[in-house]
Amino acid sequence: MRNSQNTSKSIGAKASIGILITAAALMLLISGIQQYSARKQIRSDLERNAEMELVLKSLGVKHSLEDVELALRNRRWEFEQVLPYPDSLFAVTRRVVEQNPNFDGCCIAMVPDYYPEKGRLFEPYTLRRCDVINTYQLGSDAHDYSKNKYFINSVENDTSFWSEPYPDEDNPNVTLITYTFPVYDASGCVAGIVGVDLESEWLGKMLNARHMFPSSYHILISGEGKLICGPKEKGNSHQLAEETLNMINDSSLHREPSSSGYAMLLSFTDNEDNSEGNVFYSSPENIKPWRIAVVNYDDEVFEPLIRMRWRNLLLTLTGLLILAFIIHRSAKSISNLQRANMEKEHIESELNIARKIQMDMLPKPESETKSDDVDICGSLVPAKMVGGDLYDYFVRDEKLYFCIGDVSGKGVPAALVMGVVHTLFRSVSAHESRPDRIMGTLNENVSQGNESNMFITFFIGVLDLPTGKLRYCNAGHDRPFVIGKETNVLPAKANLPLGVVENMVYVAQETDLVPGDMLFLFTDGLTEAKNIKHQLFGIQRLTNYLQECDKKIAPNTLINKVTEQVDLFVKDAEQSDDLTLLAVQYTPAMKELIFDETLTISNKISEITRLNAFVKSSAQTIGIEATLANKIKLAVEEAVTNIIDYAYPDGVEGTVTIAIEADANAVRFVITDTGAEFDPTSVTKADTTLGIDDRPIGGLGIFLVRNLMDSINYERIDGKNVLRLEKIYDS
Amino acid sequence: MNTIITETDGKYIVSLEGELDTAHAIEVEEAMKPLHDVNGKDITIDCSQLEYIASSGLRILLGLLKSAKANGNKVVLKSLNDEIKDVFKMTGFIDLFNIE
Repeated sequence: MRNSQNTSKSIGAKASIGILITAAALMLLISGIQQYSARKQIRSDLERNAEMELVLKSLGVKHSLEDVELALRNRRWEFEQVLPYPDSLFAVTRRVVEQNPNFDGCCIAMVPDYYPEKGRLFEPYTLRRCDVINTYQLGSDAHDYSKNKYFINSVENDTSFWSEPYPDEDNPNVTLITYTFPVYDASGCVAGIVGVDLESEWLGKMLNARHMFPSSYHILISGEGKLICGPKEKGNSHQLAEETLNMINDSSLHREPSSSGYAMLLSFTDNEDNSEGNVFYSSPENIKPWRIAVVNYDDEVFEPLIRMRWRNLLLTLTGLLILAFIIHRSAKSISNLQRANMEKEHIESELNIARKIQMDMLPKPESETKSDDVDICGSLVPAKMVGGDLYDYFVRDEKLYFCIGDVSGKGVPAALVMGVVHTLFRSVSAHESRPDRIMGTLNENVSQGNESNMFITFFIGVLDLPTGKLRYCNAGHDRPFVIGKETNVLPAKANLPLGVVENMVYVAQETDLVPGDMLFLFTDGLTEAKNIKHQLFGIQRLTNYLQECDKKIAPNTLINKVTEQVDLFVKDAEQSDDLTLLAVQYTPAMKELIFDETLTISNKISEITRLNAFVKSSAQTIGIEATLANKIKLAVEEAVTNIIDYAYPDGVEGTVTIAIEADANAVRFVITDTGAEFDPTSVTKADTTLGIDDRPIGGLGIFLVRNLMDSINYERIDGKNVLRLEKIYDS
Repeated sequence: MNTIITETDGKYIVSLEGELDTAHAIEVEEAMKPLHDVNGKDITIDCSQLEYIASSGLRILLGLLKSAKANGNKVVLKSLNDEIKDVFKMTGFIDLFNIE
């Protein structure tokens, strides 16, 4: 029990774990697919947003540059007007710086030898340093701007342009860019080049004013691949900007065009803090040759995804917990169910045994009757495993004792009562041949202490086989049918069932059966058999069937046919009550007599001598061998002595008639007397095992008769005692 | 039916001859009555001539056995024929009596 429970528990646990693992794997798979597609979506959103960002920022840069360019273009005439007065140029440069807070410095580098009086190199220059504005002449041999490539380029190409970024000489942390444009004299020749210095930070501020993600930043790269500006607000932002620049410039790194082709995309892993990110950069037409780049970090880009992942994980875990709980509960109820099943099986197996015991209690035709004079068949189909119906029969002293009964209720309680009644019937009828007395004894036993108020309808019949006399007693049971020349209900008084009233007086009734007559007994399981429509089989249907059936039908055939009828009627409906049928047919054998003599003696002991002589000579005539003849003589002598002793009180005179008849293999003695009713068959058997001190003198007579003869039968007929003894002999 | 009682060497020997049926039981019982009152003498019942015994005969023998036992005497049955032995077996008398 314990083992099997453990096994079932571990099987349950294994199954639960299996289900949980499967569910977890499924959930993980689903969440993985979800993550994958969400990641793809975020990535494509990012690309689109980044491209948009690059366009917007490049427009911003362009506007900022144009602001500067416009401001200076408007100043060009000022420069050109004061060209004839070289010293006025100082004031112009100073004004430019003063009026544009963004400007760090402004210079005009004149074409060499433009003012002979000022030397070869003349460059008025105004510089803002910590809000202090100084103006001085910068050109000298030490600062030979004429060799500067921007100067040369501007003069030669007669064009304005933005320089590459360069560190401020005074403050290397500051990156400057310079915008230069040519100034023309009256003849339209280039007189000098005006340059305005700006801290590139001015562009950087605009560029990084707003970001896609908190850690994102933008950088601006010059045509030569130098960093113009980047984020300023972060501590290591310059370093970050430099690193980004290096990545973009490092042609060995893998990059790919974005899906629209507008930008290039470069993914990276920062070795220092293991952060991953990507760089989108492009070279928009309006700020060429500059390039603009935006850097985003994956942890921020995919932050919603990570949040979603955690949420999913939480949901998955919650789901699994709920699932585990459900599995645990159902495993528990399954194991409860298993236990209940096992208990049920246990009870069922016990009920099976009980059923077998009950069925074994039923009489077996071959072992119980041992008589050719009667043919019996019984059938009991309990509605449950065990039932409260019973039938029994046996032959004792040439009498068939049979009964049928129905204990109120069904199942085990009814079966227990049935077992008791069955045993009582057997033990009482072992020494009592009157059905009313048997019934009375049963009633007393059942009534006493009948606290559960069970009652039993019961019918007892005692059929005298030599004469066909049937004595019966009914206790509230369905009346049996007699199937003979006519088929009728046996006119049995109802009486009260057993167990209802203590000291109830039961009355026996009697009738004579003729050879071939059959009694059909049944319980209400037959008449109250229900079909699916709850209709009853009914007494009328039974009566009709029995009246129409073949009168020469054998008991077992009748039982089978009636059972068949019930099955046909009930069909698929569940059997509601025990169904018990019993058929008893009186079939006495007609034997040809080879000897038939009668002796009548008076009730005197001295007549025994005559009797013995008669028995001895008859036996000789019949041809019974001497030893057996002696035994028979002894038996008859004992039987007659008993009658003389007990049937006739002292002084009463009477006769005893001994008829001897014999057929080919049996001799019968029919001893009739007119004395008081005396049934020697109900005398308790003598105990032959007692010692001398306990042994009563006498009581051996009937014992000897029983032992010496094959059968003994008593019947009170027409006020006479009729005792029959039979002995089988080898002719 | 004859009942012959002889006394030899301080023992009684009873010879039963013929058929001891119920009709003869009274006379045999009467003949054996003196044996109920003997003291210190064992009784041997010779059954070699006994052809038949009914329960009334068995009763006489049982009565004799009981009184002999009360007096401290022994009762021995001798030479039972097979049929009578069968009756003794059937009734359990075979265990009560000392049978030679």
